[in-house]
Amino acid sequence: MARKGVHVKIDELKSDFGLLKNFELSVGRVIEEKWTEPMGPTPFPSVIALRDWDMKLLQRYRPFYLPYCDVCCLCTFGKCDLTQDKRGACGLNMASQQSRIVLLACCIGAATHIAHGRHLVEHLIEKYGRNSPLDIGGLNIDIEAPVTRLVCGIKPEKLRDLEDVLDYCEEQVTRLLSSTHTGQEGSNLDFESKVFHAGMVDQVGMEVADIAQISVLGFPKADPEAPLADLGFGIADVSKPTILVIGHNVPSSVGIVDYLTEKGLAGKVEVVGICCTAHDITRYNSMAKIVGPISWQLRYIRSGLADLIVVDEQCIRADTLIEAQKVKTPVIASSEKNCLGLENRTETPPEKTIADLVENRVPGVLILDSDKVGEVAVETVIKVAPKRGKFKIIPEIEKIIEAAKECTECNECRRACPNDKPIPEAMKAAAKGDLNPLAEILESCVGCARCDSACPNDFPLHSFIVKAGEEKLWKEKFKMRVGRGAIQDVEIRNVGQPIVLGEIPGVIAIVGCSNYPQGGEEVAEIAEEFAKRRFIVVTSGCAAMSMAMVKDEEGKTLYEKYTGAFDAGGIVNVGSCVSNAHIAGAAIKIANIFAKRKLRANYEEIADYIHNRVGAVGLAWGAYSQKAAAIASGFWRLGVPVVVGPHGSKYRRMLLGRQDKPEDWYVLDARTGDKVYVGPAPEHLFTAAETKEEAIVLLAKLCMRPNDTSKGRAIKLTHYVDLHRRLFGSLPSDIHLFVRNNTDIPITMRDEVVKVLEEKGWQEQMIPDPTLLPRLVREKKG
Amino acid sequence: MSMFEDIPVEVGVIYEGERIRRKDMQIELGGPDVKEKFELARVKKPEEIEDGKTTIIGPDIKDMEAEKSYPFGLLIEVAGAKLEPELEGVIERRIHAYCNFIEGFMHLNQRYDIWLRLSKKSFQKGLNSFEYIGKVLQRLFKSELPIIEKMQVTFITNPEKVKPLYNEALEIYETRDAKARGLKDEEVDKFYGCVLCQSFAPTHVCVITPQRYSNCGAISWFDGRAAASVDPKGPVFTIEKGEMVDPVKGEFSGVNEAVKKKSLGEITKVWLYTAFGYPHTSCGCFEGVAFFIPEVDGFGILHRGYKDTAVNGLPFSTLADSTAGGRQIDGFHGVSIEYMRSQKFLQADNGWKRVVWMPKEVKERVKSFIPTELVDKIATEEQAKTIDELKAFLKERGHPVVSSWKEEAVAVEETAPLESEEAPLIPVATASTLPITAGGFKIILKDAKIYAKKVIIRSEKSEKTRKGEGSAKK
Repeated sequence: MARKGVHVKIDELKSDFGLLKNFELSVGRVIEEKWTEPMGPTPFPSVIALRDWDMKLLQRYRPFYLPYCDVCCLCTFGKCDLTQDKRGACGLNMASQQSRIVLLACCIGAATHIAHGRHLVEHLIEKYGRNSPLDIGGLNIDIEAPVTRLVCGIKPEKLRDLEDVLDYCEEQVTRLLSSTHTGQEGSNLDFESKVFHAGMVDQVGMEVADIAQISVLGFPKADPEAPLADLGFGIADVSKPTILVIGHNVPSSVGIVDYLTEKGLAGKVEVVGICCTAHDITRYNSMAKIVGPISWQLRYIRSGLADLIVVDEQCIRADTLIEAQKVKTPVIASSEKNCLGLENRTETPPEKTIADLVENRVPGVLILDSDKVGEVAVETVIKVAPKRGKFKIIPEIEKIIEAAKECTECNECRRACPNDKPIPEAMKAAAKGDLNPLAEILESCVGCARCDSACPNDFPLHSFIVKAGEEKLWKEKFKMRVGRGAIQDVEIRNVGQPIVLGEIPGVIAIVGCSNYPQGGEEVAEIAEEFAKRRFIVVTSGCAAMSMAMVKDEEGKTLYEKYTGAFDAGGIVNVGSCVSNAHIAGAAIKIANIFAKRKLRANYEEIADYIHNRVGAVGLAWGAYSQKAAAIASGFWRLGVPVVVGPHGSKYRRMLLGRQDKPEDWYVLDARTGDKVYVGPAPEHLFTAAETKEEAIVLLAKLCMRPNDTSKGRAIKLTHYVDLHRRLFGSLPSDIHLFVRNNTDIPITMRDEVVKVLEEKGWQEQMIPDPTLLPRLVREKKG
Repeated sequence: MSMFEDIPVEVGVIYEGERIRRKDMQIELGGPDVKEKFELARVKKPEEIEDGKTTIIGPDIKDMEAEKSYPFGLLIEVAGAKLEPELEGVIERRIHAYCNFIEGFMHLNQRYDIWLRLSKKSFQKGLNSFEYIGKVLQRLFKSELPIIEKMQVTFITNPEKVKPLYNEALEIYETRDAKARGLKDEEVDKFYGCVLCQSFAPTHVCVITPQRYSNCGAISWFDGRAAASVDPKGPVFTIEKGEMVDPVKGEFSGVNEAVKKKSLGEITKVWLYTAFGYPHTSCGCFEGVAFFIPEVDGFGILHRGYKDTAVNGLPFSTLADSTAGGRQIDGFHGVSIEYMRSQKFLQADNGWKRVVWMPKEVKERVKSFIPTELVDKIATEEQAKTIDELKAFLKERGHPVVSSWKEEAVAVEETAPLESEEAPLIPVATASTLPITAGGFKIILKDAKIYAKKVIIRSEKSEKTRKGEGSAKK
């Protein structure tokens, strides 16, 4: 689409449109435009281009700060105590400092996805050429890059077009980051607006990364029937040499699979993955298997099952090399972002590197060439595996009992545990030979091993827990539908009518990492609750894996029971972290496809549409990383609410709506320009739930939107009331705020709801054509 | 809670999607193993109805042998001042949803094809009598459709009694269908409008007539009539037909007024039976799209579920995108499948005589409504995948559109004489953004300074007449 450095020289040209003589033209770049839609108001928006929109959201959803740390120590004035009304030496107060840290986190997250995208695009261009076409869904997808089109105002067609998009993203992150410097931004709301900007840019970066890999590497292209992959701790045939890949960026894993295929070794070596690289390698090739989400790293490494570990980037334990050495497993680092102190062997002849690894002359190497990684990994693992003999450091039961007898129950481990697990009590039971309490802890263990570090006796407590729960761990064999990528335009149309009529009450996006408060089963329960109720459930990343790890009485996982189509009752795995862009993309396409709202660089209008009409809610039940923070902020700017688990409060602030302030809940009726009260729908933009039950009820409630048809609202209310009653044993106290007229009242609950309405002095409200943007008010013509 | 307190299981829309497998079922009513089964709604005189009554003819649930299938009849009789026999079908179709609201009670299909199952679990919870189901139906019908003033429900499980009623029901369906299909737009004075889709497509208004279903295929004229009388302030409203301005194109003064009002002046005129001029607008959820193919002067039709491209090389997503969002676009027309069964289908454009291509799947569904002599003249993807193949097919089969094909006149374009003059080099254009349109492309030069000895720009419109030649001199 864009080309740089064009020089045209024409001596004489006679053409239909004119006559040129001695014409010479030098242009910095030429843009061929095939997209006929006129350019919208905010192409490649600057940091402040959408500030007005952000402020509209922030006025309604005011930041509520939860200082996780009372001081600021970012500059040498500090530490500055910011409690109460104090200001730091630079003049910043607590609110601004908290939002500043949120912005930092989101910049880190955005930079990570964007750099990931940059690496992928560069790598794929090098291998497949700049002109490789983008194709993410064939005929069923017209809008190949909804986020990029919306934000940047361009229609990318080839790999090279993505470079321009990344240029923009990188520049924006630099600018955003600069405003966190001491003595820059002073307003917390402006910091928050910048957080939204970081989130939006992050979404573009994710989209670039995923559409590049889908197009060029032949991942499933928006396929509702993407194949099922094996998943679980016990899934690999451990009699074979086993390569474990960890991380998010798939080229090095592709190198391995390609090398195996090329050398006819496909059935001889196991390739298993953890975290998003596992997602993406199963999207690439069916020989790969998935061990589990990020929290499965230590348990797998210590169990000695991997004969070689290849790490790429993101969410990889920093002590991977140390842990690997304990089990005599060589490590190959394959990303410039994560070199682990290893010697760079990119240019070394592979035979030498292989020999050094096999002979254990080096614990690992850094290789920044995916094909070379493939060769070295495969050749090394074949030679290393017999020597290792699956050497492990998970202790035998006797050792655990022996250690447990020496445990003083000092409680340091429990204090260190993010989930406050009763490890001392479990050790006490173990001392008496009962390992069940330890085994139970594994169910909700996030695999951080802080207990190990905390133990004054230096007991490898995490290993004890893994051993105790080993039996169940080995039985872990599940099926997960591999990431399908985008949602088809046609699917969006198919759900049009049921969404309008309320038969599909909402879209629940269950995403994020695996540091769950009570284990991954909760994610599966939540997903099934909503799939059964015929919501559309979309998922990605580690959450998509966790929800595969539960079977019903017939031994079926959710992915075997529910369709992968974007439809009522579907459970739709879009793929890895970067695939989250497709979830935003689906919401954007609803606005573009149903209402024909202009897409091109028209962010504010589309976000306004989504916020007021599309009943989509995100849930990051185990969000932990800065990337997760950035992903959430991208959804906020689109007006999509996000719920996080209890650890989510550590993100330092929520964006909460106030039911008790009716003045906050007015919209403009686009038909007339009148201000209309619509009730708190959706009530929050970002909030945390303490329990699974609370999360479920919140999700159902946050699906309500001002535009809901009466039938739609009645069905949404039915779910909200039913869940509230079932999980909390009572009617929600705020039903009256969500009933606008009589036909909104759920059919089967009429009597009791009417009673509440009477008690609360409810009055009928009109249903407007809702917008927050005055310019969208259509003047009554003629 | 209070509304169904006396029912042993829960009742709510959340049970709607529930499926009960054979091994979990207590009993099965109707279904594929049973010939005689039906459900029927009848509008009666008030004195013929004992309000609130449930009658069971034959064994009740608790007396039925477990895991067996039974012949089954469900008769709903209603009365009310505003009720009319035309609404029977609408009332009857709600039986499906309301039965499904009951926990552990599954209802599939409709009319003579019904298939119900009760789960063992719900039976064990105490749902052991049709009395309960009768009560649920009574309450739901009356709270949802206040025009029902009196209602009685009869369950028939005695095979001897089901049989004659079954035959009677079949006759009633037949009569009703014949009447419904036979009902013409000319015969009614009210149409119905629907703005449900405005929640997503704010300028779209659907006009529903006896011979034109809603675009989504979900709302018939009868449904519209029922909805408008139940909830006069709701999204489905009455349109007074008004004066018939054009019987062929389907223009009605009342429709124009209503659409203008409901679209807030966006749309001022609608022709119901054509895809040209002022076609009916399309929302986002239409079932199919009729698209004009200029090369053959005919229409192709594509339905939402078709995975491949249409004969003109465009997939549904692109075609649909050409018309969606409440706009009037010449030659692109969102339609329901049911509308294809209407005699008014694209009437002004010659109806079926103008349809040249459609996927096999849709063709099968509407086959009996295509004039017999045309059935074999309309191509499917099996006969034509490209325009050339389509042309050949239509010619071979003698499709009516072929007669309209004429020799295509080739427009001879005259070329302007080249001018050649010497002049000093001056910048002819310097602008921060300069768009140039040529040959279907738009070239935008940014921060460009172009030096040329001479630039001749001709106005595009005057290409054939040469009148506006060389108009841009500075």
